[in-house]
Amino acid sequence: MKQSILVLMLLASSHHLGAGEPEWSAEKRNHWAWKAPVRPKVPAVKAETWVRTPIDAFILAKLETVGLTPATPASREQLIRRVTFDLIGLPPTLEEIDAFVQSSAKPQAAYEAVVDRLLASPHYGERWGRHWLDLARFAESNGYEFDEPRPNAWRYRDYVIAAFNSDKPFDRFIKEQLAGDELWPDNPQALIATGFNLLGPDMTDASNQLQRRQNSLDDMTDTAGLVFLGMTVGCARCHNHKFEPFSASDYFRLQAFFTPAEFRRDLTVADAAHRATHDQQMKVYLALTKETHASLDTLESPYRQKMYQARLVKLSDDDRLAHQTPEEQRTGAQKEMVANTARRLIVTAKEITGAMTKEHQAEQVRLLQLLKKHDAQKPATLPAAMALQETGKAPKTFILKRGELRNPGVEVQAGWPTILSPGLRAEPAPIAAPSPRTTGRRTAFAEWIASPTHPLTARVIVNRLWQHHFGRGIVATPNDFGVRGERPTHPELLDWLATEFVEHGWSVKKMHRLMLLSATYQQAALNQDGSKKDPTNTLLGRMNRLRLEGEIIRDSLLAVGGRLNKKLAGPSIFPPLPPEAAQGAKDWKASADPAEHFRRSVYIFARRNLRFPFLEPFDLPDSNQSCPKREQSTTAPQALALLNASDVTAAAKALAARVEKQAGTTDERITLAYRLTLGRTPSDAERRITRAFLQESPLHEFCRALFNVNEFVYLD
Amino acid sequence: MMRGPSFSRRDFLARSGGGFGMIALASMLAEQGVLGQNTRARNPLTPRAPHNEAKAHRIIFLFMSGGPSHLELFDPKPDLQRLHGQPLPASFGPVATRRNVERNRLLATRRTFRRHGQAGTEVSDLLPNVAQCVDDICVLRGCRGDSVTHPESVYLMNTGSILMGRASLGSWVAYGLGTESQNMPAFVVLPDPGGWVKGGAPAWGNGYLPAAYQGTVLSGGAAPIRYLNPPAGVTQNQQRRTLDLVNQLNQEHLRLRHNDDELAARIAAYELAFRMQMHAPEVVDTSRETQATRRLYGLERPETAEFGLRCLLARRMVERGVRFVQVYCGDTGGWDGHTEVDANHARLCAQSDLPIAGLLRDLKSRGLLDSTLVVWGGEFGRTPMTEGTTGRDHNPHGFTMWLAGGGVKGGQTIGETDAVGLRAAEDIAHVHDIHATILHLLGVDHERLTYRHNGRDERLTDVSGTVIERALS
Repeated sequence: MKQSILVLMLLASSHHLGAGEPEWSAEKRNHWAWKAPVRPKVPAVKAETWVRTPIDAFILAKLETVGLTPATPASREQLIRRVTFDLIGLPPTLEEIDAFVQSSAKPQAAYEAVVDRLLASPHYGERWGRHWLDLARFAESNGYEFDEPRPNAWRYRDYVIAAFNSDKPFDRFIKEQLAGDELWPDNPQALIATGFNLLGPDMTDASNQLQRRQNSLDDMTDTAGLVFLGMTVGCARCHNHKFEPFSASDYFRLQAFFTPAEFRRDLTVADAAHRATHDQQMKVYLALTKETHASLDTLESPYRQKMYQARLVKLSDDDRLAHQTPEEQRTGAQKEMVANTARRLIVTAKEITGAMTKEHQAEQVRLLQLLKKHDAQKPATLPAAMALQETGKAPKTFILKRGELRNPGVEVQAGWPTILSPGLRAEPAPIAAPSPRTTGRRTAFAEWIASPTHPLTARVIVNRLWQHHFGRGIVATPNDFGVRGERPTHPELLDWLATEFVEHGWSVKKMHRLMLLSATYQQAALNQDGSKKDPTNTLLGRMNRLRLEGEIIRDSLLAVGGRLNKKLAGPSIFPPLPPEAAQGAKDWKASADPAEHFRRSVYIFARRNLRFPFLEPFDLPDSNQSCPKREQSTTAPQALALLNASDVTAAAKALAARVEKQAGTTDERITLAYRLTLGRTPSDAERRITRAFLQESPLHEFCRALFNVNEFVYLD
Repeated sequence: MMRGPSFSRRDFLARSGGGFGMIALASMLAEQGVLGQNTRARNPLTPRAPHNEAKAHRIIFLFMSGGPSHLELFDPKPDLQRLHGQPLPASFGPVATRRNVERNRLLATRRTFRRHGQAGTEVSDLLPNVAQCVDDICVLRGCRGDSVTHPESVYLMNTGSILMGRASLGSWVAYGLGTESQNMPAFVVLPDPGGWVKGGAPAWGNGYLPAAYQGTVLSGGAAPIRYLNPPAGVTQNQQRRTLDLVNQLNQEHLRLRHNDDELAARIAAYELAFRMQMHAPEVVDTSRETQATRRLYGLERPETAEFGLRCLLARRMVERGVRFVQVYCGDTGGWDGHTEVDANHARLCAQSDLPIAGLLRDLKSRGLLDSTLVVWGGEFGRTPMTEGTTGRDHNPHGFTMWLAGGGVKGGQTIGETDAVGLRAAEDIAHVHDIHATILHLLGVDHERLTYRHNGRDERLTDVSGTVIERALS
């Protein structure tokens, strides 16, 4: 009897796979990452005294099996430099170095104090927010031909930085980005968070606006899969995934969570109180100016109408008809025609004034001056952001054959990937609409992802944190935990960390602490025995040398010369471009306030078609797709930038001036420049070489050399 | 993957790398015992043997920005002349265009076509000089793309995808083959100084490939490459002294870190940067070219001087081992003849016809044409239907490109468009096929040149591409 029930269940489950679902091999079905992590026991080790956090036991247990002894601890100078760059992306100050090196506290306690100080710094969010922005393919322009700026995109950047600084629980961080508008519609930050889904490139003038929307849907589906699940779902858009147990139908079932969403570029994101104040002020202002506005309208309207009509008749019959059809009655093709030709109908204020008679122009000036008197009463425009919103309507979602919009197949319902569903059943997800204005689909999606028992979510994020701290993830393919991804080097450690993370409230800062306070992290980067037995350092018997990214190099150059403007948050900045980079650089006007030019790189306007020239050679991600790990190439153009860019010369001169002011003798100046730039005093040999150099070269050239040595960009 | 090395190629490509033409220096330093054993293997631009025998070792892509009209240049259509002023016959069915141009009247060309060369290749009177080179040229009349807009089509032609941000053809070639140049980048781009192509720098971007493979923009003049020259007020001697100090301090640092490869690679990159600084000005200095050569490229004539100079620079670069040179012709508008297509093309042909013929002749007389592939084309062609009364709209459905040089069977025309030149009809060559053919001529199998990114083995030709066998010599 029991057996027959089992058979029936098996039949039922295989039936649920439905027509066209591929049969997956046992290897694909039983892949480790599809099973929820089970908290493993911390392993026993021989050299117990080395262990500072449970992480060390996992690392040491493996080292001991191959007879490898961990490296000696890094020096205090090395350690504070490493952890400061790692957490806030800036060099430690001389005072901070001295305080740590000379501290009378026990080494671990003194170090713990440093870690806690850095985690509390507002610059921590700037540094770790940047890692997230890489994942989120963050940029502030549309890309393609026109590359129009997105004036509100910076609000998402600030949201991310603030989320890291406040240690927002990561499950909440997920829910806000995927479904903030559904879950917390009155919270401006939650609305801004949904901008995550819209950060990809967007061809605003696409000839087919439906295709444009489909491209955005594909982009947000692919990105959510990569970022939160570490799954390469995008491969299944055109066909069943070749390597993963993931079908085209799974792909569109996932996409169906997003299909009801409207993509808003300028959604007002004020809270209720702010909105009420604004509306009240606006009422007063409009009352004060009602007559003037009416007079202006009477004056301008005939001109506007005439010019608009003149332009309208120049359109083709079909285009004109499309414009004359009320918006809600337009066919898809008509919407497209309107989108294509709207530009040609715009009548600007300047054109109206230009067309007016002299008398009318004078009258217009008088009225505008009257209006101006009330400018002080006019409330500031409410903040707007890119965000998702719903109207509660849910269009149907179809499998698109070969991913082509013109090729719809069967209809699908929103649901989890089959491989992650109980009993491998491709069933619709349970969805409850929180209000008539929204379907609740993304809420269901977000809550599934952020569930404590999800097999991937916690593993994927702790692996990302590990990767940035240790230079390589436990899973070396951080956006691909699938069958074809790399296997974890320390699977038990990964699971232990994932469960620990969830148990401690998804706190990212607690996870940082755990990793940074480990003896593993505090090792030196050299271990001769380790280099022989484990050349790729898979077992972490020494610390990987971390390399600074372009942004951090630029920030450090500003910091060591004492020029860094540490102002936080706000709209993005435009530092001046070097003259030789000006070619092809439209719409880049240097920020009016020169102090803005010296702010951190995370605030530089992120233009898709014009990446900031100094950063470009340093493997800046191209922001068109999620970037989980930056390339680290070593090229001659990087050397040229760091040698010859005017920003570097300026930094060298600033450092030289600072050193000359603060130190008297040549020897003292050499020492100070070394300490400010590399965080240590020079060796006798280095001092000798430098002294000889300074015989015939100025001090600022020595400073320029220091910015170019390997030690400036590679941390021990 | 190109071959199967024992180490993870992807890993070292991502982490290490090199400057331009590191080979000589790397082997020199290796002899001095400076670099670790792996260094040669770890330089991403080390010349690499292709999959198959290569007919072409380097490539010059002449990109006609804006979409040149095949109907004014290479594809005469008697039926179009006959049907001038009439609507497109219903038999052609619906056509995707941007502004319902398919309902506009057909527009005959004002150009006359004649047969040229032994092969009798048809070329319009706008290209009298290229017409004399047709026996070296294989004209592809049946080309086809996927999008009616500029940026999408520019990306498709350059990266194999209408989406932004994929790796460009030049970066794929640099990744696959490395470079033979000692002092110059593997992939050099010469944009039109009048304005960049629509879609901009992603057209020569490295996409998901490491930055070592991205196109380097080069311009004429005193600062041909960004950040090339020492900062203002720093003499060459001082630059050398400062670099020597960097090197001395780095050597000490390296010694204490057991000659780590990654650190050594960065030291080599600095030496190469210095060598580029020394040599790049010579590459762009054309003052020693003979009068005859200068005339060949039209350098003494105002209409051809600018584009001619960039064609000459292209030759000078391939001569010095640069693997891939892309020269843009036409500013941001370029060949985009929405109005007065005839006047627009007359102007751009006056700029480019002589220099392009000059380039082919010069390469040939120097014995370089046999090993250099020259590609001509834009992002699409133009419609037989008129836009306004004198213009033509974008046409990705059928257009012309041509190939010449290394491995190409010249003196032939492959493919046809339909009766009015609207759609490719015979021997259709999709952009993926053209890419597959270009890679094939360089000895590279387009299906085996892959790079793993976000879980997918990406390639230039996505999931298609067929080599155009008839184009091969």
